[in-house]
This record gives sequence, structure tokens and C-alpha cells, in this order.
Amino acid sequence: MRKIVICISTLLFSASVFSVSAAAEIEDPVAVRKALMQAVAASAGTSSAMLRGNREYDMAVAKAAIATFHASAKALSSFFPENSHTGGTTAAPTIWKDPEAFGSAVAKFRAAAATAVDLAGHDGPADLEAFRQAVTPVLGNCSSCHQSFRVQN
Amino acid sequence: MLRKLLFLTAALVAAAGLVFWLLTMPRPLDESVLAGTEPGDPVRGERMYFAGGCASCHASPEAEGVEGELGGGLVLTTDFGAFVAPNISPHPQDGIGDWSEMDFANAMLRGISPEGNHYYPAYPYTSYARMEVQDVRDIFAYLKSLPPVEGRADSHKIAFPFTLRRGIGLWKRLYLSAEPVVTFPEGTPENVLRGRYLVEGPGHCGECHTPRNFIGGLKLGQWLEGGPAAEGEGRVPGITPDEDGIGFWSEGDIAYFLESGFTPDFDSVGGAMVAVQKNMARLPAEDRESIAAYLKAIGQ
Ligand code: HEC
Ligand code: HEC
Repeated sequence: MRKIVICISTLLFSASVFSVSAAAEIEDPVAVRKALMQAVAASAGTSSAMLRGNREYDMAVAKAAIATFHASAKALSSFFPENSHTGGTTAAPTIWKDPEAFGSAVAKFRAAAATAVDLAGHDGPADLEAFRQAVTPVLGNCSSCHQSFRVQN
Repeated sequence: MLRKLLFLTAALVAAAGLVFWLLTMPRPLDESVLAGTEPGDPVRGERMYFAGGCASCHASPEAEGVEGELGGGLVLTTDFGAFVAPNISPHPQDGIGDWSEMDFANAMLRGISPEGNHYYPAYPYTSYARMEVQDVRDIFAYLKSLPPVEGRADSHKIAFPFTLRRGIGLWKRLYLSAEPVVTFPEGTPENVLRGRYLVEGPGHCGECHTPRNFIGGLKLGQWLEGGPAAEGEGRVPGITPDEDGIGFWSEGDIAYFLESGFTPDFDSVGGAMVAVQKNMARLPAEDRESIAAYLKAIGQ
């Protein structure tokens, strides 16, 4: 009997150690999500430059921007674990207070990006107008999400 | 002796009361201010309505997406309590449908209700006081063209002594002024002056971007230098043209931010500024350019 108890508690102990180390695999979630957002910002910059005519339209560049939005949108929600609301972050406490609302904001971003990927096709949107139609709904997510979930401090 | 003392105390209290009464008396506009201006024009009024951001506070929160329904109900949580934006739709009983132009001008320029009570400065009339009477008449005409919304918003949830509106009269003596904040020399370009009007008056940018003292007054000596948010979380950044503010932004960058919500680094606008930016995007480009010109010209 004692053996079983020891055995179970050893199992539980190692399980808890294991889960701690699994969570710790994302070593610095704040740094990762910031890097994701910087990739999104850089793509928004390139997109905007083409939309405003400050940079010549290029199908491949447009496709790369859309692919970046898409990859970031898919990855994003994995980098807001429970214990990452402090320390050099501008993520608003609301993310953890109302995870459902945050989840649905990220889902909206992901859906818009996925639609843009479809519209971009194999070679990227055929012309500037096609790009505008694909990317505008994606860009609209930046401020609607930052409105509730980003806070400057 | 005791009777004398009692009498003296009573007299002092009465005198203090009288002084308080006089100092806190609402001081409405002179009836003649409307003379010399034209009847309100709703088309011009719409532009001022977006410059003033009225919908950011007065739009019914549940009516998200339904433009122009100003049923009120948004709660502004501050250190002084929770203020609820009232219904300002043209509904005759629940909104401001039966107000006169003078009632509206007194609300906007003096923070006084038709019954002669002081409004709380959560309604940013300390900035709107710098507006021109014509623009106020135009906003009123525009508001009248919007749909009436039924239902009154909840009352404010504030604690004593802030429940006594009369005391706001004293506060107004300190902080209510129609004078511009920044003075410019003779010969300053017209668009900088127009920008000053838009920022210091209808745009009420200073209400968030200027730090406040413990009684909620703006520290004008730190105009637009940023500080803790009076409502909501976090800090409001400085927007002065130096390294503590947005010194490295060009005029074009500022105007583009107000139009698109993207900073020069392609960070995106967030928090309370999102609603402001969306309103700014509705203005003609020249207004955003004027605001940018002013923000680059201050403190030079
Ligand atoms: C920052 C939020 C905010 C903004 C922006 C704002 N208001 Fe208000 N407003 C309030 C609050 C809060 C009150 C209630 C004040 C009180 O009860 O003392 C109020 C009161 C009023 C009233 C008095 C209503 C009544 O029933 O007595 C009028 C009129 C009004 N606002 C018009 C406007 C207009 C026009 C604009 C745009 C130019 C505007 N407000 C912008 C918050 C705001
Ligand atoms: C209701 C409060 C509020 C008002 C009114 C307001 N702002 Fe802001 N503003 C903010 C907040 C909060 C931020 C930070 C936004 C963020 O988190 O991205 C900000 C950011 C900005 C920025 C970007 C600064 C930076 O370093 O990123 C500029 C420029 C700006 N505001 C200009 C203005 C102008 C011009 C006006 C008047 C027309 C104005 N703001 C009115 C709250 C306000």
C-alpha cells in the first residue's frame, strides 16, 4: 500500500515538474509576442506605403505582408500565459480579466488574415486594388484590438 | 460673553456662506452673444461634432455601429466617482430636444445647465469654452438633425462632497477660461492658429494629454506633456515636439496618424485615443494638417 502511495505521489510530482517545464519552454513570452507584433507592424508599414503610392506595388511583397499577418495572427494567443501580465509589457490587464473577449478579438484578426491569404492566391493579389480589398479588413483589427487590450504605461 | 461668542460664530458662518454663495454663483453668457452670428448650419456642425468627439462619450454604448444615436449611458470612472454621459439626442423629454440655443451655448461654453446648475468637468467644457459661438450654434443644429433616442441614462455614482454641484463654481473660477493656452507672436501662420483652435477648443486634446493636480485641474505649465490617465488605465503619452513627446514625428507623420491610426513606426493607435482618431479621420485633411502644424509649433 505504502509503495502505491509513494508511486502515485512520485508520478504526480514528476507530472507537475513536467508541466512546469513544458510551460517554461516559452522562455520569454513577452519578448516573443513583441517580436510578433513588430513583424505585424513592419508588414503594416510596407502595406501602407504601397496603398499610399509611396512604394511601387509588388505582388510578391504584398503576399509576404499578408503571410506575415496570417502567421502572427495564428501564433499570437499562445504567448499570453497567466503569469505574463507584468514586466515591460503594454498588454492590458483586461486580457487576463476577460480572456473570452480577447480570444474573440484575436479570432477576428485570424479570420481576416485567413481571408486575405485566400484572396492573395499563389502569386499575391493581382493589382493594388485587389491588395487593398484583401488587406484593409486585416489592418482594421490593429486599432480595434489595441483599443481594449493594449495600454501605455 | 457666551452669547456674544455664539453670535459672532453665527455671523462668521453666515458671512462665509454668503462668500461661498457669491463665489460659486453660475455665471451664464450674456443673451447678446448670439447676435452677430448666423443661424446654426448642420453641415458645418457635423465637422465640429467630429472635431469635438461628442459621440465618443454620448453615443449609446449598446448602439455600437449605429451612428448618431446619442442616448448616453457610457460610464467614465475617475478618482472622483463614476460619471455617466447623459442623453443629448433631440428627444424632448429624455434628451435636449426642448432646449433653446442659449441653453446649449451655456452648457458648452460655461458648463451650466438650463436650471442654472454647474456641470461636472467630466463634460470637457473647460476646453469647449474656447469655441466660437458660431461653431456651437452649428453643432446644435447638427444635433437637432439626429434621431431622438428614448430613455434617460443612469445617474452619476459619486460620493459626498462631490455630489454638491454648487462647489464646482469655485473650481470653475480657477480652471474655466476662454483664453488660449499657448500664445503665439504676431505673424504666426494661419494654419497654426487654426490648429490651436482645434486642439485647445473642440478637440479637447489637453483634457487627456495634460497632467492634472489633486483637485482635477489641468497643470497648464505642463501642457500636452502627458501623465497618468484620469479615466481608465495606464498613461497618456506626451505629444509635445521634443524627446519626451513626439519630437521625431514630422507634420506629415502626425496628420497621417490622425487619419489612419498608424504611428511612424507602424505601431497602431490604442486605448481612449482610438475613438479620438476615428473622429479625426472624419475631418477634412486640412484640419488634421492644422493640428499637426500646431503640435510642431508649441514650445518653440
Ligand atoms: C469625455 C466625455 C464627454 C465628451 C467628449 C462630451 N461630453 Fe457632453 N457630457 C459628458 C458628461 C459626463 C456630462 C454630464 C455632466 C454633468 O451631469 O454634470 C455631459 C453633459 C452634456 C450636456 C448636458 C446634458 C444635460 O442633459 O444636461 C450636453 C448638452 C453635452 N454634454 C453636449 C456635448 C457635446 C455637444 C459634445 C461634443 C462637442 C460633448 N458633450 C462631448 C461627457 C462628455
Ligand atoms: C480621451 C483621451 C484622449 C484625448 C481626448 C486625446 N488623446 Fe491622444 N492619446 C490618448 C491615449 C490614451 C494615447 C495612447 C494611445 C495608445 O495606447 O496607442 C494617445 C496617443 C496620441 C498620440 C500618439 C502619441 C505616441 O507617442 O504614440 C498622438 C499624436 C495624439 N494622441 C494626439 C492627440 C490629439 C491631436 C488630440 C486632440 C485632437 C488627442 N490626442 C486627444 C488619449 C487621448
